Amino acid sequence: MFIQQLINGLTLGSIYALFALGYTMVYGILLMINFAHSEIFMVGAYVGFWVLSALPFLFPQITPLYLLIVFVLAMVVTGALAAFMERTAYRPLRHAPRLAPLISAIGVSIFLQNIIMLTVGAESQPYPQTMQLEQMEFGGIRLNTLQIFIFVLAVSLMVILQLFITRTKLGKAMRAVAQNHIVSQLMGINTNTIIAVTFFIGGGLGGVAGVLNGLYYGSIKYNMGFLPGIKAFTAAVLGGIGNIKGAMIGGFILGVLEALAAGYISSEYKDVIAFVVLIFVLLFKPTGLFGEEVAEKI
Amino acid sequence: MKLAGIIVSVGLLLALAGCGGTGEQVVKVALVCPLTGDIAAHGQGMKRGFEMAIEDANAAHKLGAAKIEAAIFDDRGDPKEAVTIANQIISDRAIIGVIGHLNSGCSIPASRIYEKRNVPMITPASTNPKLTMQGYKNVFRVCGTDDVQGSWAGNYVLDTLKYNQVVVVHDKTPYGQGLAEEFQKQIVARGGIVTSFNGIDQGEKDFKALLTRIKTENPQVLFFGGLYAEAGLITKQMKELGLAVPLMGGDGMFSNEFARIAGPASEGDFATMVGLPPSKLPQAADFLARYAAKYPGQDMQPYDPYTYDAATLLLDAYAKVNQNRDSLIAAIAGTTYDGILGRTTFDERGDTRNKQISIYHIKDGRFAYYEHK
Amino acid sequence: MTRSFRLWIYGALLLLAIVIPLVLHLSGNFYVVHVIALVGVYCILALGLNVTIGYTGLLDLGFMAFYAIGAYTGALLSIAGLSFWLILPVTIVVGGLARYLVGAPVLRLRGDYLAIVTLAFGEITRLVLNNYDELSNGPKGLPRVGEKIGAVNLFSFQFTEDIHFYYLILAFVLLGVFVSYRMEHSRLGRALVAIREDELAAELTGINVARVKMIAFVTSGAFGALAGAIYVHWIGFITPEAFTFWESVLLVSMLVVGGMGNISGVLLGVLILVGIPEVLRASLGSKFVDYRMLLFGAAMILVIIFRPQGIIPSRRRSRELKETGQETVQ
Repeated sequence: MFIQQLINGLTLGSIYALFALGYTMVYGILLMINFAHSEIFMVGAYVGFWVLSALPFLFPQITPLYLLIVFVLAMVVTGALAAFMERTAYRPLRHAPRLAPLISAIGVSIFLQNIIMLTVGAESQPYPQTMQLEQMEFGGIRLNTLQIFIFVLAVSLMVILQLFITRTKLGKAMRAVAQNHIVSQLMGINTNTIIAVTFFIGGGLGGVAGVLNGLYYGSIKYNMGFLPGIKAFTAAVLGGIGNIKGAMIGGFILGVLEALAAGYISSEYKDVIAFVVLIFVLLFKPTGLFGEEVAEKI
Repeated sequence: MKLAGIIVSVGLLLALAGCGGTGEQVVKVALVCPLTGDIAAHGQGMKRGFEMAIEDANAAHKLGAAKIEAAIFDDRGDPKEAVTIANQIISDRAIIGVIGHLNSGCSIPASRIYEKRNVPMITPASTNPKLTMQGYKNVFRVCGTDDVQGSWAGNYVLDTLKYNQVVVVHDKTPYGQGLAEEFQKQIVARGGIVTSFNGIDQGEKDFKALLTRIKTENPQVLFFGGLYAEAGLITKQMKELGLAVPLMGGDGMFSNEFARIAGPASEGDFATMVGLPPSKLPQAADFLARYAAKYPGQDMQPYDPYTYDAATLLLDAYAKVNQNRDSLIAAIAGTTYDGILGRTTFDERGDTRNKQISIYHIKDGRFAYYEHK
Repeated sequence: MTRSFRLWIYGALLLLAIVIPLVLHLSGNFYVVHVIALVGVYCILALGLNVTIGYTGLLDLGFMAFYAIGAYTGALLSIAGLSFWLILPVTIVVGGLARYLVGAPVLRLRGDYLAIVTLAFGEITRLVLNNYDELSNGPKGLPRVGEKIGAVNLFSFQFTEDIHFYYLILAFVLLGVFVSYRMEHSRLGRALVAIREDELAAELTGINVARVKMIAFVTSGAFGALAGAIYVHWIGFITPEAFTFWESVLLVSMLVVGGMGNISGVLLGVLILVGIPEVLRASLGSKFVDYRMLLFGAAMILVIIFRPQGIIPSRRRSRELKETGQETVQ
């Protein structure tokens, strides 16, 4: 059973890791908790749902390409939504006291959730089955292609992101702005654009996580973002908020922890695990596993 | 500014207070059920059955010159909302009775509020026995109860399916847990083995960890006390993890939505349902035909005929006492009603004496009738 | 507005608050009375939260947990047979103690981290209540079938109707207003202001920041628990679903929209965000309830961007929020 739970945990962790990246990138660059990122995740899942439902009617021939189209579309839509969110609800508050953007983000979260609920309905939607699910069995352990796909996709995207951040000019600009807005501006970087790009990328990854979540569980609902959002945020904090590698590793750790706790301790209290981890980390090691100490300026 | 704000608010409250309702020849019957949310399919069906009943009653001039109006409320399956709506209903004196709720978890707290002002409540779908054990004179039920349903399912598993090692999962609601407990009681009383008794949360989607553990217990069947949304996901994830045993549930699971959510994994799963299928009842044929004509393309949900009968029964009783509110409850209690579901009479607790159970299974993506008691 | 003029207004409002519900009750508008009483309960909650958010400047996203603790404590004690008037002080103590235990590790955290940790505690409370069947009966709620929440009796008068509970609630709202007012205009209140404006500077002037924060934190928790105990005796039924995170957020938005730090603002916020939608529900139907949260979300965003001090601002807060426009994110 341990290996099986481990597999469950790694699949779950892949989704958390992708999801956590959005939180960590935004926090790194703006020192802000994007509370509405959980709704980006949810919108991504719904975009995937609509696209997957429509594709068989529009283009019945290209079935193998469906997933590719879905992910690209989901990324673009959620990325754009995230950037739009930043522009309208957060940028006016960039110089306001710290809690104001958080409150605004909560408002955005409520707003998005309810817009979706009112348009699509409050009941769960079954996700279209697109992948041919091959079940494999190794000595009692079940693994299917979807789980492998999720893991591989998540890791690939994270590797691409890491390369992007470290090797490209845009990535370098993002790191610069995250370090110091004013000096970056003096060096000729348009901070507003960079911030928008950060939200776009983080949001897009969150959207992919949403689609993966929908595919994995087979069901989506307007309020599906809240609990995974808290867990993904916990993962980001665990890894060291602001640190991209940390978010990835934090995601996997949290996923495995949750699966093992649910299997061995109690499946009823599994959500509590994430919250307890969150409290522990914030109280005793707020910089997380890989974060740096940030001196508080007086 | 502040003054203006407060005056406006107070004014608004006063103005809306005027909406206390005036006395006209309008008789309202309330329907409260989940019209949105995860069990919306059942609730929407109830609404259809209800609207048909009201239409038929008006067409037959059951209450003479008085017009019968439907007052429909959505309790979303949420007990807190149910209580709020109940308070709203008892304030509206034009409402003579309530048909509802669907979830036992809503009916039970709401019934206490209706009792305060002697508003009769007839539930077409709440199956938890405790509802009628509260000693309230105004609470009635036209459907079966879970003590019968759960024990019948237990016997079925042991005698017909010939399994004696089962695992039980429930959604911790009064309905789901209640049904699961009755099932477990029966299995254990007859010498079967219940490997574990597990609770899940309504709205939960990830059952893999739980099911992985359950798999190690080697059950022959998984009994689920709960609603179709979770049931569908459980059976789907169960089969994905290699736990290839049937899922069995109760009336809360009995909806083609279950198969839609679960996909092919649901083939062969069972659900019990209170009462007999309307297609097997000669007196229901007319209702079925009219329903299909009025709502083309809509799947009839399990409680639609019950809602129809409950509403018609209520109005019949009201007509019989010449619209005298005080004698209404007594009239309902003593009623002998012949409707779509056969003859309905109430016992001293307010339960119908009609206590048959049927069982269905999923064949080709839909529930098909299997047999009955 | 002169002081005496304001006092006249308050007096008039108080008179209306006493008379109007009675008139409504006698004319049979039971539901409106029910709603007004509900507004009253939220007022107590909002006043409590105001001590933490408005006076101390700490964003608390898990306040509902203490409402829940108060309600469940009240329910369990009532089922066990304890009288309402004994339950009240016990609940206040339990709420305050719980708050103390949570506050001890949490209060030294920084703004947004504090918010998230309070959220986490709030959710843990709800999850435990949802799963710890032996204590709380899980989603089936309390009281269990066959048990009853005890009646509230004052001398030989039994509280049965909504209108009776309304006056009880009104009395506690007034108590809450009184305590808030005294707190605001005391040394403690001034210390809270100092902490809110600049915690480090406040510490340097000799204020025991940790102790002052804790006093405020515990007081607000006591308010919340009190509201819970009253609520459960009135409605007679609770489930964990009544205490979700979104309810905490709703409470925060009442403060944001109405004006945090200002008692009148807080009460107005409650009236707008609870009173009006509930009454509109009666005329517009259940559909409106779906739109309610949507409007709240939008209201929160708009208010925090364009009028962060709320509709009726605390004058001091107004200045604070406008002045800090100079700060940068660094």
